[in-house]
Amino acid sequence: MNLAVLLTMAADALGDRGAISGGGHHLSYRDLRDAAADFATTLPVEASAVVYAGPITAATPIALFGAAWAGCSFAPLNYRLPQDALIPLATALAPAQVVAAADRFESLAEALPSGRLDEDLLIAPCAVPTNDPVEAPSRPAVLLYTSGTSAAPKVAALGHDNLLSYIWNTVELAAAGEEEAALVAVPSFHIAGIAALLSNVYAGRRIVPMASFSAERWLRSARDEKITHAFLVPTMLARIVECAQAHPELERPDLRVLSYGGARMPLPVLEAALQLFPMTSFVNAYGLTETSSTVALLSPEDHRRARDGDDVARRRLGSVGRAIPGIEIEVVDDAGVALAHESEGRLRIRGSQVGGTYLDGTAALGDDGWLLTGDRGRIDPDGYVWVLGREDDVVIRGGENITPAEIEDALLRHPDIAQSAVVGLPDVQWGEQIAAAVVLRGGRALSAHEVRAHVQATIGTFKTPTTVAFVTELPMTPSGKVLRRVVRERLLAQVIGEADRR
Amino acid sequence: MTNLLGKRYTCDECDAQLMVVKAGDGTLTCHGQPMGEVAAKQLPSSD
Repeated sequence: MNLAVLLTMAADALGDRGAISGGGHHLSYRDLRDAAADFATTLPVEASAVVYAGPITAATPIALFGAAWAGCSFAPLNYRLPQDALIPLATALAPAQVVAAADRFESLAEALPSGRLDEDLLIAPCAVPTNDPVEAPSRPAVLLYTSGTSAAPKVAALGHDNLLSYIWNTVELAAAGEEEAALVAVPSFHIAGIAALLSNVYAGRRIVPMASFSAERWLRSARDEKITHAFLVPTMLARIVECAQAHPELERPDLRVLSYGGARMPLPVLEAALQLFPMTSFVNAYGLTETSSTVALLSPEDHRRARDGDDVARRRLGSVGRAIPGIEIEVVDDAGVALAHESEGRLRIRGSQVGGTYLDGTAALGDDGWLLTGDRGRIDPDGYVWVLGREDDVVIRGGENITPAEIEDALLRHPDIAQSAVVGLPDVQWGEQIAAAVVLRGGRALSAHEVRAHVQATIGTFKTPTTVAFVTELPMTPSGKVLRRVVRERLLAQVIGEADRR
Repeated sequence: MTNLLGKRYTCDECDAQLMVVKAGDGTLTCHGQPMGEVAAKQLPSSD
């Protein structure tokens, strides 16, 4: 079955309802279907993929569904990368049709001569299609570069069946009311951006794309566009909370549902957000690129109980909730043996929405269909899943496994600390030592000794960083994940530099 | 009998599931029995 069936169903069910509005364009579900079908007819026969290099706009769902319609893979790239980084990512996907923002397509078209298209050309009135979506597409529906926070990025291949299975297990056709609107601020090269386009189209919720995020713009758009639903990565929510606190005169949008995911949410940020949006339902979504977005979620009910002061629910704010229908989640040891509740180990996931391969041909799944996530975690007796961090990020100090998350949360509880990243550095005595990169709030000053004293008082000496470095910003992926391997390299260089000067 | 767009049907006998992607008339049968409609899921929007 072709992924584009989600759009043909929505067009059959909803017709003239507004599907997307942004940049002065307003497309109904029927317009969107017609434009996607038309785009499909323009794709060169030799193209196996549509490389998309631009912000999320009204053109994005046209290219996504249009590529699927023609049986080509939709391959969105991080268009903000410098040209010399972007071009090899694009050429790895040849032969492909390029769809790019105006300032990007010259150089990309040179690298990929099979075709190029300014995204504005996609959004033009089209006749009712005479072509049907390709019936049994053989290529993947979506190709996505993984985040690559701890290793080189890979291209995950998601099949039409994977993505359809995710949508059909989690969303009802046309379930959204006519007044509902979703502000989509995550880029299309993030799985959450793809999932937002697919699920909002299928639910019948008008999409308002936000090409470039700022907290103030987001708050204004949410108010002006009467946004009811939004998804945010933690760094975005942190900035919105900060902006709303600094500008109490800015009206707070009357959101119904705010979902978040993509990286670990610091508890202090979440607690502030719950206070700031008292009428809003919160949803924490956990998923990977390889799992077609969400596999577990912490529900609005869980958040509500925590906001009301329920102790168990408050603790569970640190979890990612429970597996969604059609998904199994287990914790296993290094030998792959399933562990009992509350035991810490490697998280693995199985279900029909989980993509099975990478573009280089390597398999993502074991023989038994399980995907090892690379995350460490545990599951409580009620099925709540706790993600403790990437396996590669665990600091092993004196034989003890320490996950950076707990130390980062402790650091963030200091009123002068805005952001932090904790990594392990080689240490002669302990095997590894704990090192923290800290970003202070504007105008504040702290000494390394004061930072260490704060952590020591909060979670104890054993988990107190040996090295504290003050930095102006943390290196991050566009989805708000800290690039720990870069933090580690920089801190290591600094520690070695200091040792040399002694 | 009209089959409703976006509705799921299932067979009591073999658990086969079916999604209606194009509305149409007729009766969906499996193992010689009309298939039953599966109730809609209520999952909060997560993206």
